[in-house]
Amino acid sequence: MSHKFWKHLATVTMVAGAALTLAACGSSSAKKNVKITILQGKVENNKQFKTIAAQYEKSHPNVKIEVTSIGGGTQYDPVLKTRISSGNAPTIFSLAGPADVKQFKSHEADLSNTKAAKAAQPGTLDAVKTDGKTVGLPFNVEGYGFVYNKKVFREAGIDATSLTTYAKLQAAVKKIDSMKTKLGIKGVFALPGKEAWIMSDHLANLYIGQDFNGNALKLYNSKTMPFTKNADMKQMLDLQSTYSIKPVMQMDYSAQVNQYFSQGKTAMIQQGDWIYPTIEQIDKKFAKNDVGMIPIPVKGEEGKLPVGTSLYWAVNKQKSSAEQTAAKNFLDWLYTSKAGKKDVVNTLHFVPAYKGYSNFKMQDALTQTVFKYSNENKTIGWAFPGYTGTSWDPDVAQPNLQKYLSGKQSWTATVKNMKDGWKKQQASSSN
Amino acid sequence: MKNRSLSFWLFLTPTLVALALVVFIPMLEGLFYSFTDWDGLSFTKMVGFQNYITLLHDKAFVNAFWFTVAFVIVTVIALNVIGLGLALLVTQKFKGSSFLRTVFFMPNMIGGLILGFIWQFIFTQGFSALGSALHAGWLENWLTTENTGFWGLVIVTVWQMSGYIMIIYIAYLQNIPQEIIEAAEIDGASAWQRFTKITFPMIAPAFTVCMFLTLSNGFKIYDQNLSLTGGGPYNSTQMLAMDIVNTAYNSSNFSLAEAKAMIFFIIVAAISLIQVFYNRKREVDL
Repeated sequence: MSHKFWKHLATVTMVAGAALTLAACGSSSAKKNVKITILQGKVENNKQFKTIAAQYEKSHPNVKIEVTSIGGGTQYDPVLKTRISSGNAPTIFSLAGPADVKQFKSHEADLSNTKAAKAAQPGTLDAVKTDGKTVGLPFNVEGYGFVYNKKVFREAGIDATSLTTYAKLQAAVKKIDSMKTKLGIKGVFALPGKEAWIMSDHLANLYIGQDFNGNALKLYNSKTMPFTKNADMKQMLDLQSTYSIKPVMQMDYSAQVNQYFSQGKTAMIQQGDWIYPTIEQIDKKFAKNDVGMIPIPVKGEEGKLPVGTSLYWAVNKQKSSAEQTAAKNFLDWLYTSKAGKKDVVNTLHFVPAYKGYSNFKMQDALTQTVFKYSNENKTIGWAFPGYTGTSWDPDVAQPNLQKYLSGKQSWTATVKNMKDGWKKQQASSSN
Repeated sequence: MKNRSLSFWLFLTPTLVALALVVFIPMLEGLFYSFTDWDGLSFTKMVGFQNYITLLHDKAFVNAFWFTVAFVIVTVIALNVIGLGLALLVTQKFKGSSFLRTVFFMPNMIGGLILGFIWQFIFTQGFSALGSALHAGWLENWLTTENTGFWGLVIVTVWQMSGYIMIIYIAYLQNIPQEIIEAAEIDGASAWQRFTKITFPMIAPAFTVCMFLTLSNGFKIYDQNLSLTGGGPYNSTQMLAMDIVNTAYNSSNFSLAEAKAMIFFIIVAAISLIQVFYNRKREVDL
């Protein structure tokens, strides 16, 4: 009886094993095609990337592309790490900044010789250069500032584009605040205190970044954080929180963008061009006619918009050279070919980080603004990707800024904690 | 041991293998990684007890620890008192008692994440509307301070879990032989005496089970924490499980997170086992 059982078990196991082996052989030898897998972090563009991949497969019949998208900055890295350790690493993956460049070093192919890298606009590759190699290609550029409600400004009799200095902005804010009920808004700003990154990344970048010329890599490698312009930051943060819809510490991203701005309850919010699709979903007419963006007036950097890249493409150098070449060809095609460029602008609605797009027109008012500033070179660099991947951001900067906003801590202590925390982190990470 | 034949081990093997694969081996692996500088991808060297020393000086971890301890104390008491109270209520013979059981149990069928989001809405919108209507300042600005965040978490957890605890108490309450209570009644015991001298000792095993469940649940809670407060404001309502997840995934410090998880495991296991040991002693047999 038991002998029979073991025999049966052995047979079943062997058959299953053989089937698996055969299947494995089948997939590796039957096709000469190259299959590349993409794991990318812009989940909002998942559908568009799949459409583009299908289109590419049609014009390049020997290439198969599989796109997987993972949402949000925090969940992407663990998934990529899991895929790598389980031997299922993607051919193309995305990097968020210098911290990722360091983490995934053993998997990053040199992309310096790709057409796309050569076409990249000056400065866009700074954050992904390591040992003289370029290991990432920017997805796009994005920009942020004060996204404002044109109707409210019109009715208040204020020309938003004239608010180029802090004093002018302050005067306008006070004027709008005094007309609040007449304009039908609940507050001039909507500052989301719960969404600490709006302050720690976007706002702080304008002031911390000045000491590093807006260069993320310089910041990432710096032992200290001078934060010399912290008084200017306090001024701007105070202005936003004083004239914001209350309570500030209860507001999150969706309250700021969906509930208040898109429904015309606030005059302006500190946000970027990526919110356009959300506004459009809520109120198409409002999005089309009454949404604009102005730079945040920063002393010494007036009239400049912070424009930068939040994600970069990387190619896995541990894959076969055929696969790597196919991956590079795909990225080159996407950003430098005629058909690819059309997809970048019209399908993905990206503001390109590459040269050769001068005859394209962006799809909406916010990306148009970013594109305009980017073309005119009136930009402030994004230094914050130099710290977003480090623990300083969630563990030091964000709680301290929130403490300040809640009135639990003075600004002096906040700045000191931020500087000390950076010094401590940089000292321990270097060894 | 003679009767533990081949078939004994054969029947046990699938469970043992499964347990080893998903519990023991990952745990040993975790223990090993807690002595390295693993970043989730690779490690370069062994660091000895460095991670354990770091976590003792980690303010966020220590803060999360005390926050969690306070949370556990409050929820264990509240859950058991309310759970037992509800059980006593619905085991009285009156019309609609089985309907009430269903109602009390219902919150437990909603997932913790969704519950957190629902209550976030209640705390921020409902409470503040009520507060401004009644001019009650303490009802406004919920979840924006450490205190309101703490009580928000307690309310949600108690609301969700007391129905579940109630069911366990009901099962034990219904197992008490009626004749003992009747005999006591004839002997002239008051309702309070019947409860403290008969009912309470008779449901001691339920107490052991419920204490264990509420204790370990309180320590391990994550989803309500994530969706209700997200650890905010300024990470003050971050509980142990969340601090560990954030250390691993936000700060990419997997080895430190493993060390924290080991400490976490030891604390939860020790407290739960001590509790079971002591409560077992109090149980009575007929």
